Amino acid sequence: MRESIKDRLFQGSITFVLCILGAIALIPLISVVAMSFSSKAAADMNIVNLWPVGFTLASWNYILTDGGLWRAFFITLTSTIIGTILALTITSLMAYPLSKSNFLMGRGLVLFVIITMIFKAPVVPYFLTIRGMGLFNNPLVLVLPHILTAYNLIIMRTFFKQFPEEVEEAAKIDGCGYFQMLYKIILPSSKAVLTTVGLFYAVTLWNQFQHPLMFIQKADLFPLQLKIRQLISGGSEMANITMMSNANYTESTLSAATVVFAIIPIIAIYPWLQKYFAQGAMLGSVKG
Amino acid sequence: MPKKNSSAYISLPKSKTSLIHNIKKYWPYYVMVLPGVIFFLMFKYVPMLGSIIAFEDYSVFKGILGSPWAGLKHFKALFNYPDFKRIFTNTLLLGLLKTVLIFPIPVILSLMLNEVKNLKLKKVIQTSIYIPYFLSWVIVGGLIFDIFGVGGLFNNIRNAFGMDTVLAMQKETWFRPIYVISSIWKDAGWGTVVYLAAISGVDPSLYESAAMDGASRFGRMRYITFPLLIPTILTLFLLNIGSFLELGFDQVFNLLTPMTYSVGDIFDTYVYRMGIQKAQYSLTTAVGLFQSVIGLFLVMTFNKLANKFSDDGGLW
Repeated sequence: MRESIKDRLFQGSITFVLCILGAIALIPLISVVAMSFSSKAAADMNIVNLWPVGFTLASWNYILTDGGLWRAFFITLTSTIIGTILALTITSLMAYPLSKSNFLMGRGLVLFVIITMIFKAPVVPYFLTIRGMGLFNNPLVLVLPHILTAYNLIIMRTFFKQFPEEVEEAAKIDGCGYFQMLYKIILPSSKAVLTTVGLFYAVTLWNQFQHPLMFIQKADLFPLQLKIRQLISGGSEMANITMMSNANYTESTLSAATVVFAIIPIIAIYPWLQKYFAQGAMLGSVKG
Repeated sequence: MPKKNSSAYISLPKSKTSLIHNIKKYWPYYVMVLPGVIFFLMFKYVPMLGSIIAFEDYSVFKGILGSPWAGLKHFKALFNYPDFKRIFTNTLLLGLLKTVLIFPIPVILSLMLNEVKNLKLKKVIQTSIYIPYFLSWVIVGGLIFDIFGVGGLFNNIRNAFGMDTVLAMQKETWFRPIYVISSIWKDAGWGTVVYLAAISGVDPSLYESAAMDGASRFGRMRYITFPLLIPTILTLFLLNIGSFLELGFDQVFNLLTPMTYSVGDIFDTYVYRMGIQKAQYSLTTAVGLFQSVIGLFLVMTFNKLANKFSDDGGLW
């Protein structure tokens, strides 16, 4: 099929506009990377845009030798790993019976779950309940509230429903119990949905901000997002240090380096995120 | 086949005996769902019941059961509160911007992406516009403050065109534009995923026959792709209105400064400051309950509408 000149012009201009938009999407990231490698003088003169000016590793040196940031990083890393494992366990345990028509409580439980999606408890009673459970200033609060979501539960249930009945029937005849069925037959053949849901949980755990903001007040329990917020919104020791010393960094280069530090892990697993999140977006219907 | 018998048995009318039988026969199922059920009870249902403190003069020392009853006092106080009008207006306005300005962007983007013929280039564009979606609002807030701050890209560009430096993050007039821009930057790219999937399901022969009839590229976009996207757009639009009041605490909180409270303070941020930081538990629970009930009404209504427009439209 031959394209007319008008059509080619149309496509060409759209492609051109999209390339510009794609570049604009990256500009904030590029500019923060540039700032993190720039010198104090350049930052003070406001001349850093998309390329480091007066290249220096001073800011990086400072934040990477800062024990507090690494501590926050490992708190977040640990809670993300433990939380994701726990979440996948509890979600698959609940989703499996809900996918079975011979589980009599199934329909009632699905309703029980959907109600929590459409009516959300106000924040204050939620806060009081969790604090009443002894989770205030307790690192467990970084994990426990995120180990199950209605949305992920429904995705997994929908997936389990498509599992061929015959395979399970055959396994049952061979004397396979219900728990064995889940762990030896269903889960090993559900790797795609486990990865998708696992990544959903992991990103939520990694990026969580509101829970730590409400429940963690001790600075040495701060997870990464809270630590970054503290560092970049000033009001911390950072400003004082840059004022006193004659080091080659400023508040803005340090906060830029902190932001980049927090972006790196996300970029590192980005190819998987892109692939599996897209699959998950297609599964997100409660029906079925 | 013993299996057939058992499934025939449970399809009998529900009664206590059949439930007991079902538990006896399938007890592992009941054990499996237990942790999940406990989770929903503790983290979702108990706080729902705790909303009762909106009708009490709650004090931490007396507890939910011991605090004196206050009836509708806090709700009456609420509607006379000058703060309430302000946060309600702010929430509605940002919700309106979300629906009118932010919602259409992914539709336009996906129609445009569909016109990119070079698949490698398309992949590169997609990859770069999807990235921001995965960053937390703390990070995005940090980036936005950098860009709109003194010495940031925004002001450097303004200066290059001879305009004054403006402290955009501290200016009331800039809060709403920045809310819109940051939403689009973070989420609009990712929002194309669902539409692109819908577009990829379009029968290619439709395009071929249209091209045969002399339809231009634009014509095919306008008269084939777009109409076929309408059910998806409509469904997402209705669901979007259903979550009208859910603007996202993380986003607004991380873009807000005390100088912009008058235009940017919404239910979520207000409840956090007054309720959790200043411990006005009963009043802010009344605010939260008001928001939840309106939210419930909106979700139910628009979900029903979404179901009406397309078979697999609504959430449930």
